[in-house]
Amino acid sequence: MLIQVCLYFYCKFLWRCLKFVMRKLTGRCELQRICYNTKPGASRTMKIETSLRDSKSKLLQTSVSVHPDAIEKTIEDIMELKKINPDINPQLGISLQACLLQIVGYRNLIADVEKLRREPYDSDNPQHEEMLLKLWKFLKPNTPLESRISKQWCEIGFQGDDPKTDFRGMGLLGLYNLQYFAERDATAAQQVLSDSLHPKCRDITKEEISKFSKAEWEKKRMDKAIGYSFAIVGINITDLAYNLLISGALKTHFYNIAPEAPTLSHFQQTFCYLMHEFHKFWIEEDPMDIMEFNRVREKFRKRIIKQLQNPDMALCPHFAASEGLINM
Amino acid sequence: MSDLRITEAFLYMDYLCFRALCCKGPPPARPEYDLVCIGLTGSGKTSLLSKLCSESPENVVSTTGFSIKAVPFQNAILNVKELGGADNIRKYWSRYYQGSQGVIFVLDSASSEDDLETARNELHSALQHPQLCTLPFLILANHQDKPAARSVQEIKKYFELEPLARGKRWILQPCSLDDMDALKDSFSQLINLLEEKDHEALRM
Repeated sequence: MLIQVCLYFYCKFLWRCLKFVMRKLTGRCELQRICYNTKPGASRTMKIETSLRDSKSKLLQTSVSVHPDAIEKTIEDIMELKKINPDINPQLGISLQACLLQIVGYRNLIADVEKLRREPYDSDNPQHEEMLLKLWKFLKPNTPLESRISKQWCEIGFQGDDPKTDFRGMGLLGLYNLQYFAERDATAAQQVLSDSLHPKCRDITKEEISKFSKAEWEKKRMDKAIGYSFAIVGINITDLAYNLLISGALKTHFYNIAPEAPTLSHFQQTFCYLMHEFHKFWIEEDPMDIMEFNRVREKFRKRIIKQLQNPDMALCPHFAASEGLINM
Repeated sequence: MSDLRITEAFLYMDYLCFRALCCKGPPPARPEYDLVCIGLTGSGKTSLLSKLCSESPENVVSTTGFSIKAVPFQNAILNVKELGGADNIRKYWSRYYQGSQGVIFVLDSASSEDDLETARNELHSALQHPQLCTLPFLILANHQDKPAARSVQEIKKYFELEPLARGKRWILQPCSLDDMDALKDSFSQLINLLEEKDHEALRM
């Protein structure tokens, strides 16, 4: 309890005094100290973000939510406020701009993703329908869809004749992600789909052969199916990715991989990575059947969160951010 | 560590100190009951349970497999095992009936004729299942806010509740996500039924 009281007072008062003392000692404000001492990437950007957000200056507080076009001007204002001479510190402005671009980009990405999620799937909207039919074509290029409402949708893992009811809480975001995965990562998507449909072959022991008749053994083999539904799992993974984004857990990943503002395609690439990884994880976990889905999903989520707690982590490094940024 | 979490921890410790000082002791434990919640996909099981737990039903995705929720009420806590309702999952329902003290069956009052028939068959199987046939049933006719929703009388007739469920304890409640009060009332009735059963078991 004593520790919590101390922490409480530290958070409220002491850290400001500490900042003041450090400024006087080193001659540099907190932003400068962060840029000097921390290498570019998630560690730096997240420290800058905390510093700006908790600042007592209105300008700094509001800088995390400015429009991307106003970033340059905002940085100039901040440098003026902190009395930093841009001629002596040419790199500081550039580094701060890069950080602020990522911070603002992440916030805007949350807004864009939320907008997509809130949009319900509408069967009267021709664009939505087109996207759904394209999803079928990418996943099952050799099988024509007999009709819009048909049991065939179960073959790609929807729950009923009409996929629209499955999009529920994730709305159009679910469909966008599935389609991105099926289109851009077609080999992986088809592999995951095929695995999810085929039962696992369980090796049978000599005792079991004597105990069961052939028919019973065939049935047991079918029962021990990996058997999860591709589309429904995809929508669940979209839910997982969405929650990681909203809670800020994905900041580590995005600030490390995207030297500029994170965008929707970065989010979709992250979704593809999570689908891959979850599929591998599911096979490793070797669950009895689909009923263990929530348990396995929760374990997977905890694993990802643990990985994201490492500030140097990038889940799927498509391109490293630090090459684009300038070292101070 | 954020300010908010520290303040919350602070407040909770204050509350505990206050109770200790006033010699109140720890808050009394409420009885807990294990229930199983079944119904077709899209009937609204996850949304209703989320709302009862004061969570937002907005981000609910289809339940694949099952999930357990502890739903708190004033005089009891219900540990509800909610099972997904998709075709490929329903065959596993009976695996989870063991140890249940009550059943919540949710149906979509505005579903198609085919779906309603499937729901009826599932409800009948549950009513007759050896592990569930003596337990109290709470049947929720959900989605009453939709224009195509059938009334309680129609549902009662279609599902043949009077003849089939004779001798069993059941409650049929029309409900929708907008009307939480009616829903909470029906749960209070269910809790009464569960308490009665508990007392019966003690007397025997």
